[in-house]
Amino acid sequence: MAEQVSMRSVSKDERITHSVCVGGPMTLHTYNGVIRRVRPIVLTDDDPAGWVIKARGKQYTPQRKTTMSLLGYCERDKTYAYDRLKYPMIREDFVETPDGKNRNTENRGKSGYRRASWDEALSLVAREIKRLHKTYGKETITACTSSHHSWGLVGYKISLFKRFFSMMGYTRIADNPDSWEGFHWGTPHSYGYYWRLGGPEPYDMLEMAMQNAETIICWSTDPDTSRGGYSAQESALWRWWMKEMGIEFIYIDPFNNYTSVKHADKWIGPRMGTDSAILEAIAYVWITEGTYDKEYIKQHGHRFKEFEDHILGLGPDGTPKTPKWAEELSLVPAMDIKAIARRWASTVTTGGSGMRGGFGGACRHSNGTEYARLMTLLFAMQGMGKPGRAFWSPACGGPMNYNFWFGGYSDPLSSIAGAPICDDVPVNSVEQVLYRPNLPDAILDGHYEWYGEGFCGGGVDLEFTRHVYPAPGYNKVHCFWRYGGSFFGTMLDTNKWAKMYKSPELEFVINQDIYMTPETRHADVILPACSNLERIDIGEVGNSGNGGYCSHSQTGNSWQVIVYQDKAIEPMWDSRSDFWIFSQVAARLGWGERFTEGRTEEEWAKRFWQFSDLPKHISWEDFKKKGYYIPPVSYKEENKDPETGLYENWDRYPGFQWYAENRPCDTMNHKVFQEEGKLGTFSGKFEFVSESLTYWAPDDEARRPIPQYQDSWEGHKSLSADKFPYGLISPHPRFDYHTHYNQHAKWLWEIPKNRVIINGNPYLVCHINPKVAEQKGIKDGDVVRLFNDRGSVLCVARVSYRLNPETIHAYTSSGIYNPINYGEYMSWDKGGSINVLTPGRLIGDYVPAMAPYSCNIDIEKCDADPNYGQGFEHILDAVDKQQLETARPIRTSAEADLLWGEREQILRKEAV
Amino acid sequence: MLKKPMKKPGIAINSARCMACYACFMACKDEHCGWDSALTKSQPELGQYWMNIVEWERGDNTRRVKTATVPTPCSHCDNPACMAAAKDGAVYKRPDGIVIIDPEKAVGQKQIVDACPIHAVYWNEDLNLPQKCTMCAELLDDPDYPGFEPRCVEACPNQALVFGDLADPDSEISKLIAANKVTQLEALGDMGSSVVHLNIPSAFLAGTVAYPKELEEVCIGAKVKITCAETGETHEMETNWAGDYEFEDLPKEKTWTVEISYPGFKPVRYENERTDHDHYVGITYLEQAE
Repeated sequence: MAEQVSMRSVSKDERITHSVCVGGPMTLHTYNGVIRRVRPIVLTDDDPAGWVIKARGKQYTPQRKTTMSLLGYCERDKTYAYDRLKYPMIREDFVETPDGKNRNTENRGKSGYRRASWDEALSLVAREIKRLHKTYGKETITACTSSHHSWGLVGYKISLFKRFFSMMGYTRIADNPDSWEGFHWGTPHSYGYYWRLGGPEPYDMLEMAMQNAETIICWSTDPDTSRGGYSAQESALWRWWMKEMGIEFIYIDPFNNYTSVKHADKWIGPRMGTDSAILEAIAYVWITEGTYDKEYIKQHGHRFKEFEDHILGLGPDGTPKTPKWAEELSLVPAMDIKAIARRWASTVTTGGSGMRGGFGGACRHSNGTEYARLMTLLFAMQGMGKPGRAFWSPACGGPMNYNFWFGGYSDPLSSIAGAPICDDVPVNSVEQVLYRPNLPDAILDGHYEWYGEGFCGGGVDLEFTRHVYPAPGYNKVHCFWRYGGSFFGTMLDTNKWAKMYKSPELEFVINQDIYMTPETRHADVILPACSNLERIDIGEVGNSGNGGYCSHSQTGNSWQVIVYQDKAIEPMWDSRSDFWIFSQVAARLGWGERFTEGRTEEEWAKRFWQFSDLPKHISWEDFKKKGYYIPPVSYKEENKDPETGLYENWDRYPGFQWYAENRPCDTMNHKVFQEEGKLGTFSGKFEFVSESLTYWAPDDEARRPIPQYQDSWEGHKSLSADKFPYGLISPHPRFDYHTHYNQHAKWLWEIPKNRVIINGNPYLVCHINPKVAEQKGIKDGDVVRLFNDRGSVLCVARVSYRLNPETIHAYTSSGIYNPINYGEYMSWDKGGSINVLTPGRLIGDYVPAMAPYSCNIDIEKCDADPNYGQGFEHILDAVDKQQLETARPIRTSAEADLLWGEREQILRKEAV
Repeated sequence: MLKKPMKKPGIAINSARCMACYACFMACKDEHCGWDSALTKSQPELGQYWMNIVEWERGDNTRRVKTATVPTPCSHCDNPACMAAAKDGAVYKRPDGIVIIDPEKAVGQKQIVDACPIHAVYWNEDLNLPQKCTMCAELLDDPDYPGFEPRCVEACPNQALVFGDLADPDSEISKLIAANKVTQLEALGDMGSSVVHLNIPSAFLAGTVAYPKELEEVCIGAKVKITCAETGETHEMETNWAGDYEFEDLPKEKTWTVEISYPGFKPVRYENERTDHDHYVGITYLEQAE
């Protein structure tokens, strides 16, 4: 796409601006209005001194530059991607019938598009909204966004999108906490922290671990891959510091993941969904050997005796939870479980699950809530909060200046839909709500019931709110406005979504996006938005805010970076900023002025500067000019080490220490009752028998009062295991972020562990054990079909000892959804959309959580001609036929083979 | 000439620190795809990897698996084979040691690609041109460019790639090389180069020792001794808290005897354990001595 311009001739017209993406903060060099390169921020003398952690006789300080993950470096490729939406488009066979019927909805996903002018598209949207409002009422329009397809406080979904739809009135779609289900629905019943959505306190944990920890357990977590959520690759260096100072690393994950395979001193790979059994067996070892912190439990444990009885087999089930018992379930040798239990108890051990301590894939299983609760309880049994004994996985928890405030994306104070940023605060007048994982069921069946708000940060009682769709007195939904990113790839049972889009119940579908994603492909009207780099915004790297999520998540970075996200280039083709699109629709509906409050995007961005601590330190003009601001970890000169000039002191509030030391809570983001030294459970202690579950849901089959292993409704013991004997592990991807990169940034296709291009199709890689390969006659590099009753996905097999024979690994969130017969329900997918296979079923009646780790599949060598069908071409067709000419050269299979087989072999043999 | 003058600019690549996060790989594509520079034509969007990451799995048993990750750009050899193969001076070595393919003179010279012993030169079908890494010399020469490191080095979050002056013994890069094991790519033989690989792993022999099977207990502190049949070298260690032992970085393609002993139990001896590849010997269940 980029015109080839000789570098010398244009260097004088170079512009340098800054922005943020989920891959980290970016410095953008632009030549003549074309993005030339994307670099990290290299700190200058104007930027503050860094912090220094002193541990075991050494000093550790971060590099004087920010990092980006590989995704950040793909931003140029992604901006000029072949699948950008260039113009507003209307489905070819869409008929604007006055009653909303007979609109050829069954052709959604199949039909092509025609180019429209903005006026035509926007007028159509406005006419339809008016018709729908008049016919059914405001509740008939629903809308939903994916997370993090853009970054910045003006344009983010909880800001701009919320402002528009709250002002208009709509049926909200509640998000489920899809990345950390088990922690969200589980741990509030064991240690509180519902306001952190189940996650622990990461504060100053890096320093605590570096100074005290002897062992770090990473359970179901791949920190080098999940990167603290969106903290670039910053914590990678921290883990090397810890590794090289001699801390022992234990990894527990069915797949010997990318951090594990380089760092682990010991890795074990349990069968899918049996983590809870191992945790119970570890508790068994400690209880029988008397190696847990009895004083701590006496003081801070609630109804421990009953838990102890359950573990020893004196409870109702009569089964002692011995390592042998766990071995039979997990296939991990009892001797390994015992060794880990003893190492954990006999050394100072920190550990956790997932990006901020509380996430990780094992919690996205039918038994995930119990796994999460047991994790917290076991860390309590070893004195959680004592120095180096933390519930923390090594990603967040770096030093941070807690006295400097700039809002994060979920902050109620940091949204253009709320005060003080806007003057006119919109309130959604519709109380009807839908639930994202079951949106297709609600649309297709016309009725859906469930318990629980999507995010229950307000208290555990919210988990037990009953919802009915359609809500009493409300009409059903007949219009879906989809905004940003694709759920094909992240939402489970993808074929159900494809089916939903064909329903005539949905009279009108709008898709507003930057790219022709698999989901955009199902819309009636497509509104092309410009990318993050083509509009103005403001945001802090990695800051999720205090409104829920895990506040202070920017501690995943070594530097706090607040960025003026300047426009690097003008919006390309006919694409426009989301703000412009929404204000145009608002204007056509008659409330344009009210929506914009007369402000431009830059003026909105300035409001966030104004209502933060920034004005104390940098003027708006200087901030714009410099492009970013980095606060020092302390504003006090006396906190510097006189020798090195680095900050050796700052205000420290180590997470959970207050609780272990029986003092009022001093950490950030705490609740009033913590100041009395209590946790957020009913008893204020670690609940080994949950009082909240006993009170609210004594009949809950997924969550028992005592957390415990249970066979999954889809696991190795269920009926489907006869037909589909392998457990599928589909963690968050290393080479993508949700679905936001893989389809657009083709450079990613050249990573051999990500995709293999065969006959022009970038197949996703799956990992299988050599035993499976032998049984099924599969060779490394073969095209294979992963399948079950819900569908089929074609992948390329990598034969590997990094997982056991009962497990198959393929990353979720493919981004590419490429059915051989596009738009046909159940068609084989060549794009690697693994969630075609995962179950749409929720964890339990009271636990409206998805469980992609409860998934049985089978595998076979794919004999079908992989040349057959080029669904992907439809995407290209639908964007613009001319673009095919400028699209990337497609590698032949012979070249792909060379890349895969010979090339690596040659280098392996010769180079090393 | 570099704006920050160096006698012999080079990159040290510490393979032990590399996580294969692909930041360097992407930064290289970001710099060179789609844009010509003062020293080279643009890299095609797909098909070339000037900063290639060679990665292989180590081990033959799920109980002990690691990966080796070796970022492999052009080595900027002291005596480049590509330069010898090139006609009309199409490949030249700058006084600072950086090897450059002249994009005008090299047209049609496919033998330059074939000459490279580490496959770091790529053939551009459209331009009929061999292409490779320039160590971003065009950026480092440019007084207007704000950075001082090649793009790949700047992108590395792990300090696995370090840029500096190899000729200056006090430079960070020289100190790093002195403190680590230099593992020059084998295909380069004894030849020096401006890209220096460190700590590329060789082969390991690993295993686990346990008490008699019915006890379901790993054996901590068992003595493990390995002896090489060819060289006679021996190594000893005790099993760790997990009952595991691992001898890392052994010479490859050798035959080893493994002897395991623990007081009160019969000694165990394995013959002919090979280091053709990284090898897990197995779980050894001890038997009570009589």
